[in-house]
Amino acid sequence: MIDREWLPEGVERCSFGKFAVWLAIIGVVFAWGLYATYRIFANGLIETNLDNYFGFGLWITFDLAVIALGAGAFFSGFLKYIVGIEELKNIINLAVIVGFICYSGTMLILTLDIGQPLRAWFGYWHPNVHSMLTEVIFCITCYCMVLIIEYIPIILENRKLNQNKFIHNLAHNFHVFMPLFAGIGTFLSTFHQGSLGGMYGVLFGRPFAYREGFFIWPWTFFLFVASAIASGPAFTMLIATLMEKITGRKLVSYETKALMGKIAGSLLCFYLFFKFLDTWYWATDTLPRMGLTFDQMFNDVYGKWLLWAELGLCGVIPAILLVVPKFRNIPFLLYTAAILDCIGIVINRFVFTVQTIAFPVMPFDKWYSYVPNWAEWATTFEILAYGALVLSLSYRYLPVFPQEKELN
Amino acid sequence: MGLDRRGFITFLVGGAVGTLFTPVPWKLADDVSIWSQNWPWIPKLQYGARSEAPSLCKLCPGGCGLSVHKVGKRPVTAQGNKNHPLSQGGVCPLGSSAVQLLYRPARVKGPLKKNNGRFEAISWEEAAQIVADNLKGKKIAALSGDENGSASEVLAGFLKLLGSDDFYFMPSDAQVSQRAWSLMEGKGQLGFDLENSDYVLILGADILSSWGPVVRNQKAFASRKGKFVYAGPVQTGTAATVDKWMPVYPGQEGVLALGICYYLLKMGKSASLKNFGLVRDYILSKYTPSVVEAKTGVSAAQVQKLAQDLVKASAPCVLVGSDFGQGSGAFEWASGILVNLLLGTLNQKGGLVALPENKVITSAPWRSELNQKSFLKFLDEVEQGKAVDGLLVYEANPLYALPQPEQVKTVLEKIPFKVSFSTFLDETAMACDLILPAPHFLERFDDAYTPFGVGQEIYSVAAPVIEPIFSTKSTPDFILEVANKLGVDLGFASFEEVLQAKAESLGTDLESVSAEAYTSDKWLAQNSLSLPVEILATGLETEGEGVFLAPVARNYLGNTKQALTPFEVVVVKEFELQKKDFYIQVNKNTANKLKLKQNGKVKLQGAGGECVARVNITETVMNDVIAAPLGFGHQAWDEFAKGKGDNLFKVLSVKEEKGSGLKVWNRSQVKVVRA
Amino acid sequence: MEAIEFKVKWGMVINIDKCTGCGACMVACQAENNIAPMVDGSDKRMTLTWMLVYELSNGKPFPEHDIAYLPRPCMQCGKPSCSTVCPVIATTKDEEGGIVSQIYPRCIGCRYCMAACPYHSRYFNWYDPKWPAGMEKTLNISTSVRPRGVVEKCTFCHHRFMYAKEKARYNGEDPMDLPEDAYIPACAEICPTGAIVFGNLNNPEHKVAKLAKSKYAFRLLERLGTDPQVYYYSEREWVRRQGDNYLPHEKTKGE
Repeated sequence: MIDREWLPEGVERCSFGKFAVWLAIIGVVFAWGLYATYRIFANGLIETNLDNYFGFGLWITFDLAVIALGAGAFFSGFLKYIVGIEELKNIINLAVIVGFICYSGTMLILTLDIGQPLRAWFGYWHPNVHSMLTEVIFCITCYCMVLIIEYIPIILENRKLNQNKFIHNLAHNFHVFMPLFAGIGTFLSTFHQGSLGGMYGVLFGRPFAYREGFFIWPWTFFLFVASAIASGPAFTMLIATLMEKITGRKLVSYETKALMGKIAGSLLCFYLFFKFLDTWYWATDTLPRMGLTFDQMFNDVYGKWLLWAELGLCGVIPAILLVVPKFRNIPFLLYTAAILDCIGIVINRFVFTVQTIAFPVMPFDKWYSYVPNWAEWATTFEILAYGALVLSLSYRYLPVFPQEKELN
Repeated sequence: MGLDRRGFITFLVGGAVGTLFTPVPWKLADDVSIWSQNWPWIPKLQYGARSEAPSLCKLCPGGCGLSVHKVGKRPVTAQGNKNHPLSQGGVCPLGSSAVQLLYRPARVKGPLKKNNGRFEAISWEEAAQIVADNLKGKKIAALSGDENGSASEVLAGFLKLLGSDDFYFMPSDAQVSQRAWSLMEGKGQLGFDLENSDYVLILGADILSSWGPVVRNQKAFASRKGKFVYAGPVQTGTAATVDKWMPVYPGQEGVLALGICYYLLKMGKSASLKNFGLVRDYILSKYTPSVVEAKTGVSAAQVQKLAQDLVKASAPCVLVGSDFGQGSGAFEWASGILVNLLLGTLNQKGGLVALPENKVITSAPWRSELNQKSFLKFLDEVEQGKAVDGLLVYEANPLYALPQPEQVKTVLEKIPFKVSFSTFLDETAMACDLILPAPHFLERFDDAYTPFGVGQEIYSVAAPVIEPIFSTKSTPDFILEVANKLGVDLGFASFEEVLQAKAESLGTDLESVSAEAYTSDKWLAQNSLSLPVEILATGLETEGEGVFLAPVARNYLGNTKQALTPFEVVVVKEFELQKKDFYIQVNKNTANKLKLKQNGKVKLQGAGGECVARVNITETVMNDVIAAPLGFGHQAWDEFAKGKGDNLFKVLSVKEEKGSGLKVWNRSQVKVVRA
Repeated sequence: MEAIEFKVKWGMVINIDKCTGCGACMVACQAENNIAPMVDGSDKRMTLTWMLVYELSNGKPFPEHDIAYLPRPCMQCGKPSCSTVCPVIATTKDEEGGIVSQIYPRCIGCRYCMAACPYHSRYFNWYDPKWPAGMEKTLNISTSVRPRGVVEKCTFCHHRFMYAKEKARYNGEDPMDLPEDAYIPACAEICPTGAIVFGNLNNPEHKVAKLAKSKYAFRLLERLGTDPQVYYYSEREWVRRQGDNYLPHEKTKGE
């Protein structure tokens, strides 16, 4: 293998040729997305299926979803470095990398999603302090930098790089500061996860999303934080499992995975309790005061099935499976529950993004539906391919999984 | 090399801050944001002094006074002229697009001659010579879509001097009303003094959407003294706003009028008609409440209520017209006139009025005479072998806007020399041998004398507000030039002189009438009116088979002269046009009967053609009626109009009206089959 | 953010009972504000119409059916849902007169304001504006041409407000006390039935101030708390009921 000396010590990796083929597959998807990216930058958003009714669509849903799922990074960091749950060291590197992919991917999508990408930096230069989106922009950017800082020492631990004394010392210093960054990350993340919820909660012109007074702050705010940390750890654990399936090697002990599941499950229970209260209050109090009924919020396309799927099938059921040790200790149930958990949160982000604007507020207006077109999908898959690329390289060349040696 | 804690922090912070101290990122960001605000492909504004110029809209016969706002020499917007009696500051969507039409892609940019099916540019001298050569000693006909401009007078006078009586206007209610009025031995042009009426009953005519001087109608409605009641088959713009809408089957407005007459006669009302007794007996025996109810769909009680309300009003006015402004017969108009006579509103404030006429070209017939003639009858004659050598078409698009346009095309092919003076490349221009484009009306002198439907004599003139953009020539000036070549003397050297003479004949002059429209309150007294009863028989004819079609004309769909304008494209409603398909409108009841589904594709089959449409189910249409928009289905023009929807004129079926001999098509019936 | 109280509050009262749905306002608006024409206008989710005429139905079958037309400009809300959410201060409500501004060179095109506005008054420039050859010569000097990628909306023809103020200053009059006809947006000026009345809602002399107080006056989605400066007027109860969301048992405003 030509890259043998770059590989981590004491682990086995596939042949470089095989790896190259794998990268080529990712490359094809990535190139497809790159082509769509080019068209969108060259011709504008007319290349997408977004319109004046659906100014937000797949991209914003994707952004919100991956930010929620990427919450595994800050929350695992918080639990390991601040709370001190040592066992999480087995998966913390992966959590950081997944978080980094999610956040950097989101920022890439965001530059596509705005009509004037060249003015993207106006968000920092001309901030409107009253806008939830400003908060989100700042926090995401800062947190993305934190994630980079957290990712760098993992890169520096590459066997070959680490032979350099300077790099070795640098990596060491990074490690010393890690609790500090974990703290900053937690602070920033809590803020922007909450602000993302606030982004919709404050839309008093959109009854589907609007929550009043106490139900915006702190309620919706913390609902979004809670839902993110209830799915992030599950997502990180799923990624680890997926990598195990692909590589055929054991990477993380089942105990660690089950622990992640337990964390996610407990938080999901916490989240659902408040989410049900929120939904109940919204349906029976907020809506009627706007002259609307719960039933009016749904139509044939954006039906109640979305709500039942989000809160029931992908809410209550995974919560039970994850908190009850008997279920959690059966791998199939653990993974199923984790998948459902993640889907539930994606549905939540989807309805807040799309159904919010699909509901015709003016009584004489009507429902329209939105279907993303190829360009939106291609760019979304471009980010997924980018994530796969970063993960593949990290797995091959970096000591991501401390348990890998002993487990295999 | 060792790195301590301090060194590490210095390295991190220093690196980041250091970059920011170089000018590179800042300058780059600044330049990028400036560039994003000044993309070279986005048009820049051309500043200049702002001014306003009065003008006159010639896009429909409504005769609205415009105020054209200019920046430097460039007209930018067309707004309503607040001082003009017919616009009073308002304009319809067509008039509002007037300035932008200067640059409509369909504009003809210079004189063109067809050579083996392709148009080639020629010079105006060549054009004049070709026209002169082809007119000399030949049988010439002319068709004009300008029913109140002096350009038509020049054209009619010219034809007369060439020995031809074949001057025609495009069909409209103006002609039919004149025909009916003449049959009744009336004098002058009929009008409606809506402004002063306290009860306006509108039968058929969609006066707030498209019929007659629509902006003036809307103004009169806005400042109404009493009620407006509308009877028609569709809830149009008129129905949406008037005090009461009454559904009535298409083309049955005359019958409804006679139904009202029945009750008025029963109340003992009379009219000063020579044959009043005959008329009274005819109506009382033939147009009984049950007959009227069956024909119109309006209950006898409602008809009686209308009659009572009209009698109660102090200045009632009954306006009968076609739903879509054309195709009605002398029957409807005579019936409508009769109601007004019975109510005693003729030449009364707020009633039906007879307005004076005017002309300055000695050889030209009076407008009331020209209005007696029907172009469709002329086409019949040509089809039957009448020899015609040439046809001059001015401001008219007969190949699109006449019923059964495909047959019209076949007949016109028999005429060997056809000239279009169209400003735009319309369907008719495409089929002509010469296109000699008239300037856009903002680029030329033009006028409007008492548009049909108004209640007073009005004369408006507009001077050009912009130099011609393309190589165009005012058609009346061109005609005068050709007349000169042929040694024919119309008595004027230029069109401007014609307008000057007209202004002077009204006791004013060109300059003042360009600044402010001339108006008078002259109404022509009438004596010895009569009403030939055979005209009244039409309403009793049994209807044919098929479903009633109610064409709907709205100015935001363009009109018979102007195709959907660029700025009107977004005004068209979702269920009027989707991409290439236009919609017919039926209510649920009718849809169930005809087994039609929402958005389903159907074919409408008329007597002379068919067209394809989609179905929209809406309760705005009465039972057993299909409503459909006029104005789609253009095959010429430009991307803004071409190929959108289908042309409803194709399925209108023409019948000959007994008694008057007129051609009528306001009672078209169609078959609907799923396509 | 607290709503600012203005001395002058420009507003409209649109009499729905007078609107024939002719569309003149929509055309006048495009010409006045340099909105490029579109070749296909049938996808109403892609068109750009600062002023849009909606068709309202009372929902009953023929012959009880009734229709009405509702022209919808920007509501210039007293408490805008849009301006507060803009991340880059590209839209504000801070100028005397109460018109919600839109700063095109600042807008990054994130469309958050569009998601916030329940009236669909905001439009995104999906295309670069394109006029047929030569038609760019008819561009007004009212407002700059917007590139693709930014959001725009009705500004009550703000440029006309600027001209009116300038003229008043020139004539030595108080620009903050303009007479009714000194400043009128293009749509209100052109409306053939005078359905759109415009003026200062805070000036009791102005027609709008009186009309807005009528029991037949209402505002769109008033219950959401946007506090629009555009009022509607209809003597038809079913029309007023469609101006807001009502629970079945609730009474319509003005009843």
